[in-house]
Formats: sequence, structure tokens, C-alpha cells
Amino acid sequence: MKGILFAVAAGMFITLQGVANSRIGAAIGTWQAAALTQLTGFIAALLLLGLFRRSAGTGLRGVKPLYLTGGAMGAVIVFSNVQAIHAVGITIAAAVLLIAQLSLTFLIDGRGWFGVVKQTMSLPQFLGIAMMIAGVLILRV
Amino acid sequence: MMTGISLSILAGCLLSLQNIFNSKVSEKTGTWVTTALVLGLGFAASLTLGLLFQGTRMFRLGNMEAWFAFSGLLGVGVVVCMVQGIKHLGPTYGVLVALSSQLILALMLDSLGWLGLEKVDFTMKQLIGVLVVIGGAAVFKLSGNKRNARGAVHEHAEMEGLK
Repeated sequence: MKGILFAVAAGMFITLQGVANSRIGAAIGTWQAAALTQLTGFIAALLLLGLFRRSAGTGLRGVKPLYLTGGAMGAVIVFSNVQAIHAVGITIAAAVLLIAQLSLTFLIDGRGWFGVVKQTMSLPQFLGIAMMIAGVLILRV
Repeated sequence: MMTGISLSILAGCLLSLQNIFNSKVSEKTGTWVTTALVLGLGFAASLTLGLLFQGTRMFRLGNMEAWFAFSGLLGVGVVVCMVQGIKHLGPTYGVLVALSSQLILALMLDSLGWLGLEKVDFTMKQLIGVLVVIGGAAVFKLSGNKRNARGAVHEHAEMEGLK
């Protein structure tokens, strides 16, 4: 249940962030918006880290370097997304992005790549993903 | 057309990797270190690419408003909740639920015309779309695979711990 609540909240934050970013981007520019919002987010996260952290170390040394690149991907995501919206419009761009994201996640989960606990994917899972993709297409195209 | 589609596919794949990598980082470091790291690196990368594409124009914030700065908190919410969601539900189901909630809230904001969005009337097509999306998430979860069973035990243990 806790996981569901977090995931639902994550989705809501993503939508609100999308609305905010497009407004801010229109006012000061896409890159400015991306840099500014992530800088203030970073500062807020540091403050929260100071409040909540339990141990002295960060544990960062135990992390595979590859996994640390996740944060930097944000900039490439912003760039590709902006260019794509420019080329094919927001509707198609958003739908294709969601479907690609879902498909790769499904693949990684099913194959157990990147040390993810491998999940057995059988008919209901394939059907669920297919419905999800159909839903995205109905909603967005 | 193809370039646009390819770029969208690239962005979607990177988003998928980002969520999985972030949850991997949090296994070793915890939620707050992960969030700070992700947003810090995101800032550095955006600043770098921005300077590359725009030069010093990057520092011209023409129509800056105070609330822009606070919207960074939404980014904190995204990272924290996504990492926690994936930790409890696994990558695919976590992303499925987040995606459903993302689409539904977007639809609500559009239909109500909130947050200064242009009001778009709610149609039958959208209702069907939402039902198919929620149905998809439910069908995915229907069959009891291993992680589901383990998750249930885990939650049970947590409940016991609360008593």
C-alpha cells in the first residue's frame, strides 16, 4: 500500500512539474528552467539530507559508477524532449516517450538487467503492458 | 518526423534507465543522498548543455518570477516518491502506477482548466482511455508472481512492527 501511495504521488508530481516547467521555460528559456529548478531542488534536498541523515557516511563509494549517471541523464532527456516536441508536436512526443519508457522498464524488469530482481513476466503482465500502451494512445493521440 | 520520434524514444528510454539507476543508488545510500545527487548532477548537466547551446545568454533570466525557484521542490517530490515506489513495487509496476496517476492528473487539470491551463472538455474517448490505463495496471498485477508474494509478506511484517 505504501508503495502505491508513493507511486501515485510520484505521478502527480511529474504532471505538476511538467506544467510548471513549460510555464517557466516559456518565460526564461528551457535550459534556464532546467538548471534553475534542479539547482533549487538540489539545495532543498541537501537541507533535507542534513535534517534526516542517520549516519556520517554517504555510502556513495559502494555504488557502481554507472548508476551515478542517472541524474545527469535529465539534461539529455530535456534536450531530446524539447527537440521532439518541436519536430512532431507535444501529443505524439509525449505518447511515444511514455511507451518507450514503459517498454524498456518492462524489458529490464523481465530480464533482470542492472541487478534488478528478475520478475517472471507471463501473459497477464504482457496484457497489462499492452493495455497501458493502448490507453496512452487513446488518451494522447 | 523520424528524428522527432527517435528523440522521443531516446528520452523515454533514458527516463526508464534514470529511474532504475536512481533506485539502485538509493539501495546503497538512502533516499536523501540519492535525491541530492540526482538533482545536483541534473543541475550541472543542464548548466553545461545550456552554456554549450546558448553561451552567456544562459544567465539572462528575462521574466523571472519568485515562484519559479520553488518549483524545484516538485523535482524533490518526483525523485523521492519514484525511488520509494520502485523500492516497494519493483520497476515496472511502480512505473505503471506512476504513469496512470500522471495521466489522470493531467486529464483532470485539462478538464477543469486549473493552473492556468486552457480548458479542454472531458470526452468519452478520454474516459475510455483512463479505464484502459487503470485496467492495464490492474491486469498486470493480477497474477501472483514472486515479487508480489514477497511484497505482501514484507508489508505484513511492517504492520506487525507497528503494533
